Amino acid sequence: MAWLTKPSGTQEIERRDEPYLTDEIKKHLDETYAHRYPTRRAMSMPLLHEIQEHYGWLPYQALEEGAAFLDIKPSELLDTATFYEEYFTQPRGKHTVWVCQSVSCEVMNEAAITQAIADKLGVQPGETTDDDKFTFMKVECIGACGGAPCMLVDEELHENLTPQNVGGILDKAPD
Amino acid sequence: MPLETPVLFKRVPTPPWGDFNDRKYVGYDDYAKADGYAALDKCAAMEPKDIIEEVKAAELRGRGGAGFPAGMKWSFLPPLDEGQRFLAINADESEPATFKDQILIQYDPHSVIEGIAICMLACQLDTAYFYIRGEYHHHREVFERAIAEAYENKVFGENARIGKVNNRWPNLYLHRGAGAYICGEETGLIESLEGKRGWPRIKPPFPAVQGAFARPTIINNVETLANVPYVMLNGAEWWKGFGKGRPEGAPPTVPASFGTKLMGVSGAVKRPGVYEHELGVKLIDLINGSAQGPLDGTKLKAYFHGGISMGVVSQEEAEAGVEMDFDIGKKWNNLGLGTACVTVIPEHVSMVAMARNCARFYSHESCGQCTQCREGSKWLYKLLSRMERGDGTTKDLDLLLELASSMGSMPGNNICGLSDGANWAIRTIVNKFWGEFEAVVSKPSRVSLAVLGDGQPVGAGA
Ligand SMILES: Cc1cc2nc3c(=O)[nH]c(=O)nc-3n(C[C@H](O)[C@H](O)[C@H](O)COP(=O)(O)O)c2cc1C
Ligand code: SF4
Ligand code: FES
Repeated sequence: MAWLTKPSGTQEIERRDEPYLTDEIKKHLDETYAHRYPTRRAMSMPLLHEIQEHYGWLPYQALEEGAAFLDIKPSELLDTATFYEEYFTQPRGKHTVWVCQSVSCEVMNEAAITQAIADKLGVQPGETTDDDKFTFMKVECIGACGGAPCMLVDEELHENLTPQNVGGILDKAPD
Repeated sequence: MPLETPVLFKRVPTPPWGDFNDRKYVGYDDYAKADGYAALDKCAAMEPKDIIEEVKAAELRGRGGAGFPAGMKWSFLPPLDEGQRFLAINADESEPATFKDQILIQYDPHSVIEGIAICMLACQLDTAYFYIRGEYHHHREVFERAIAEAYENKVFGENARIGKVNNRWPNLYLHRGAGAYICGEETGLIESLEGKRGWPRIKPPFPAVQGAFARPTIINNVETLANVPYVMLNGAEWWKGFGKGRPEGAPPTVPASFGTKLMGVSGAVKRPGVYEHELGVKLIDLINGSAQGPLDGTKLKAYFHGGISMGVVSQEEAEAGVEMDFDIGKKWNNLGLGTACVTVIPEHVSMVAMARNCARFYSHESCGQCTQCREGSKWLYKLLSRMERGDGTTKDLDLLLELASSMGSMPGNNICGLSDGANWAIRTIVNKFWGEFEAVVSKPSRVSLAVLGDGQPVGAGA
């Protein structure tokens, strides 16, 4: 988590001319969230979610633009972005598979599910497939323990998994 | 005695009264038809302090894990001044094995929203944030819909039917988390709400005095607030007819376990799910009755009875009469009732593996501020992984216990309760299943090369 330091101090930031934080996104954020909080900084999480929704991850340039928009330092926004599991500061696959690894799922044989997915995708947890279609993650309890073992594929929950049915679920993810 | 009619699950079909498959979203209109928002209207005509007195009289204790009396928390607020005051609803629900709040969020959100509005009225809080964990995607959409319905029907917003609260029109906003267990801790939640990393704050000052945006803030769990409309509509005395009172003759200062409680069951049972019971129900009845007993061909061995942080209860203890109430900790040597969501562990699952799973969880979720939590949880994970592989030694067992017990708030060196959870989870598993741990450490899988040959450690003296 937060205290895993990253070599961002020496990293070159890839830049493009076109801003990530378009006027349209800014307008949406201002209209939806600005009145909700007494500070602009409190819009950090909605802003990060919004950027990620558009681009799949959080490019550094986008964080700089976001920080300027919120009137905070880029490092402050980066601090928030790197703390949370759902924010990706590196590109990821088109779809993200999140397999729950907590106790109820382990009791219900999550290990076999993880193995089946690793075999099917040819990657280990934490990795992305070569065709950039899937990023495979293990997570802690996703609050669907009654349907253990379970996983999220992007925002969709799949419960009562078996090594036999996970393959079919992944096949349904659009290219 | 089994609960005759559901309270919190009145509109959420649940065995034995209904079928899980019939659960569906109850919108504003359907909710309002069945007495919905009647409690709010009643409260709107009351003095705020009388609402707090009623909740105090009900002795409603927090359902988020710690069991702190809600009415008492509400009375810690300072007097009104010019500034804003906040309510943060804790829908982070990230304790492993816990999935109770999400049922209310998905199916009966207006019961939660009504509780929120009453709390805002009672405590004079003008703005409420519903902090929902990032992974609850569907739930988030459903709750947004319910909030929109509430605005349409003037529960919140300009010209709200409860009038101005703290001189402002009341508002409820959803705030989405992004995957961090520690944001369930109340001050971690506040930091996250402010747009920062979820680092718990040193207390005091307590949130009631200086919380979100340095203003007075009340934090309550979803289920706690969902109880409030029932308390207010039917009265504290009615509500206290459920659950378990004080032992005979105990003074009123002894905290009791009134009311019903949502209890999730998951793991090796035939019908996992979230049920409603009176506090004080026997664990074994929850498992064998509601959840229809162990999966075919399995024998049960242990339970995480309230999320992993409360520790474990063994099958022998369960058979000897463990009751699910706020006294479970004192009576059965664990940290407490927690979330009352149970993981059922069958005989064939190793307790060493369960302990390793818990240690990994804490090492992954520790926010890293306090040394003994950050380092200790990593170390526990390493030790337990080593033991599980068969490379542990007897000495590791003592080290494990010593390490775990140095991590809690009893030594007094941590900022929040996460490392207490780690301490209790690991210690109760090791102590209650000592035999399993001893068995893995007494049979090392590899012979140490260092002691072969002449018995001198390799490299000694070199
Ligand atoms: C590490 C940690 C995680 C917590 N996670 C949650 C949670 O996910 N949901 C929750 O309601 N309370 C959680 N709590 C308890 C909260 O800090 C707080 O006590 C609770 O939300 C208060 O509400 P209540 O009094 O209505 O129970 C957590 C506490 C700790 C120490
Ligand atoms: S006890 Fe652990 S989780 Fe809590 S504040 Fe300290 S380091 Fe963070
Ligand atoms: S333990 Fe896997 S969803 Fe809760």
